[in-house]
Amino acid sequence: MQRNRDKTIKPDGQKLSITQLPFPIISLDQNLEVKECSSVLRTLFDFDRVNHQPISLQEIIGKLPKSFLKIRSSKEFNRTSLTENVEVISKKGELKWYKLSLHPDEYRLCYYLYFDDITKEKIALDISLQAEKTARIGSWEVDLINHKVFWSEMTREIHEESKNYVPNLETGISFYKEGKHRDRIVKVVSESIENGTPYDEELILVTAKGNEKWVRAIGKTEMVNGKACRMFGVFQDIDKAKRESIKYQELADRMRVAVASSNIGIWDYNLLEDRLLWDDNMYKLYGISKEDFSSEFSAWENTVHPEDKERALQEVEISVKEGKEFNTQFRIKTQQGTIRHIHGRGKVFRDKDGTPVRMVGANMDVTRIKKTDDRLRQLLNITENQNKSLLNFAHIVSHNLRSNSSNLSMLTGMLLEKTDPESHDKFLEMIKISSERLDETLVELNEIVKIQSDAGKDLQWVKVNPALQNALESINALIEEVDPEITIEFPENLEIYAVKPYLTSIFLNLLTNSIRYRRPGQKLKIKIKAKVLSTQTVISFEDNGKGIDLDKHKDKLFGMYKTFHGNKDAKGVGLFISKNQMDAMKAIIEVKSKVNEGTTFNLCFSNND
Amino acid sequence: MVAKKVFLIDDDYIFRTAADILIKVSEITDEIIQYENGLEAYNALVELKDKPEELPELILLDINMPVMNGWEFLEELKQNPTLINGKPHIYILTSSIAPEDLNLSKKYEFIKGYITKPLTKADLKKMHNTLIKECTKV
Repeated sequence: MQRNRDKTIKPDGQKLSITQLPFPIISLDQNLEVKECSSVLRTLFDFDRVNHQPISLQEIIGKLPKSFLKIRSSKEFNRTSLTENVEVISKKGELKWYKLSLHPDEYRLCYYLYFDDITKEKIALDISLQAEKTARIGSWEVDLINHKVFWSEMTREIHEESKNYVPNLETGISFYKEGKHRDRIVKVVSESIENGTPYDEELILVTAKGNEKWVRAIGKTEMVNGKACRMFGVFQDIDKAKRESIKYQELADRMRVAVASSNIGIWDYNLLEDRLLWDDNMYKLYGISKEDFSSEFSAWENTVHPEDKERALQEVEISVKEGKEFNTQFRIKTQQGTIRHIHGRGKVFRDKDGTPVRMVGANMDVTRIKKTDDRLRQLLNITENQNKSLLNFAHIVSHNLRSNSSNLSMLTGMLLEKTDPESHDKFLEMIKISSERLDETLVELNEIVKIQSDAGKDLQWVKVNPALQNALESINALIEEVDPEITIEFPENLEIYAVKPYLTSIFLNLLTNSIRYRRPGQKLKIKIKAKVLSTQTVISFEDNGKGIDLDKHKDKLFGMYKTFHGNKDAKGVGLFISKNQMDAMKAIIEVKSKVNEGTTFNLCFSNND
Repeated sequence: MVAKKVFLIDDDYIFRTAADILIKVSEITDEIIQYENGLEAYNALVELKDKPEELPELILLDINMPVMNGWEFLEELKQNPTLINGKPHIYILTSSIAPEDLNLSKKYEFIKGYITKPLTKADLKKMHNTLIKECTKV
């Protein structure tokens, strides 16, 4: 059936047909025409036809490689073996790679062509090449005996060298940036050659085009009988990553410096494990040593000022529950007992179910800012008060001065026009009174201006008792007439920081007020007490008189020319002056009162001079 | 005389005395009733509740007074309009030159005028004329 049945002679002399060989092989004549092929090959290339028609090499592998065409056109028999890798598209349309090995048979003047399917290897190689390219890894090898250097394509690319560049060991090293980078590579390469130690370094190269580039250089030496014979390794272009990491490192360093110098502490609280982590600044802020801090939430809780604790805890809870940003201020008490104002901010992190797992935030010491702020607020208060005084002043000018001056102008006008000649003397009498009242008002105004402009002057430690006795003596007659029951309850030698004449004047004013506004038919009782607290001393005057309807009059009580009892003697200037004197001493006057029960005035003096 | 009765409410007796004479010579009325503060005048009005014919035709009201000041008095009238029944011409008479007082007075539409002291004959002449107009209208 088979027409071209060629016979292969086996060493033992037995003849064996190529067609029966269990691997893909063909025999070719001198012109590379197919003589015989193994049935395995026919199956492999889908020529498994019944009639076994002869096939040509082109039919199997398509276009012939150049070396094959050369053999075909040559008249000489080719006596050397050769191999070629070819790409073949199968009849099913698959892309396949074959390694073709051509072996001459001089005896028979024919060739045997062996087919080796290398598709898998080729794909694996392609993938690794691709990987090399993607990861920007290049390889190199140095034959230390023959002084030959091999660079892979990527290695050349990393160095920005052309494809036909021929490197040697020295030039390879000269690519490293002069200075510490080159010194380092020289050191590790020499060590590796000497001892066989591998190296792995991150260094800067200067490419052929003059660009600086970070690379990771890994090398290894193969030793034979204690002598280095071969070095090989890889290069990785890590420029982008390295530069980013350097940039990040710089940022992180900068951040660390900024945080370290800014009194900002960072905390990280693990809600599930109740574990609170603090950075070094936090310990500094809270004045606690690491050893004394138990890293639980309660450890922080214990440092918070008792007055702020409930609110601060509540705000943490709200933040955890509702996801509101934690942003608040609270005070802490350090171990040394100092009080600091802390501004705390924090954010809650949740898992994908929304369960809060972590809270991270920052604390800042705002004590100084707070103090400045308080001082500003205090100044603002003073300014506001002064503004109020000014308004009051305008009011006085408008009312008291003008009411008298307009009376004068009205009366003199009526005199000049002889409106009512019979009342002539009456007019003159009224002009006299008006001008006297005008004078009196001016004296009072002058007094107030003086108090305000002298504010803060002559403040000293004043004994309270002599000042009070002075006031009582000056109204001796009045006291004898009314006969009030006066009780004095404070230490004989009590001192406060005040202006002596103001103190006497205020005492006098409060005493006369109590007497003036006593309840008719009721024995007047006046109780004068003092309470010395840690920061202030409070002197109180309590009476059982008519009392003041504070709901109605509180705002105007200390205003000028305000009276509240319909008393004709009341001029409404006493409390205004007292209030001004208290202000000038940086002290506070307060009032408590109930109609028909009595009035208590509290004078609060600071204990710090 | 264009009015039977005038209420003069002011805590300053010198002003009251002088104004009393001026009103009389301006021939507005012979019967001037003086009150020292708003409360006294208010009580007087309450007593006249059932005798509208005895209500004054003119009320001159000071602002700054103890016990019940002018504003408080006006507030009471606003709450109890039947007390005046729309009859008296009410003028504010004050020594205040503060614009806020003038603005505040505009809150009460039953006020006829706002006069800054001193009170002059010219002021009273105007009041006189307004009262006459009112009378002829009726």
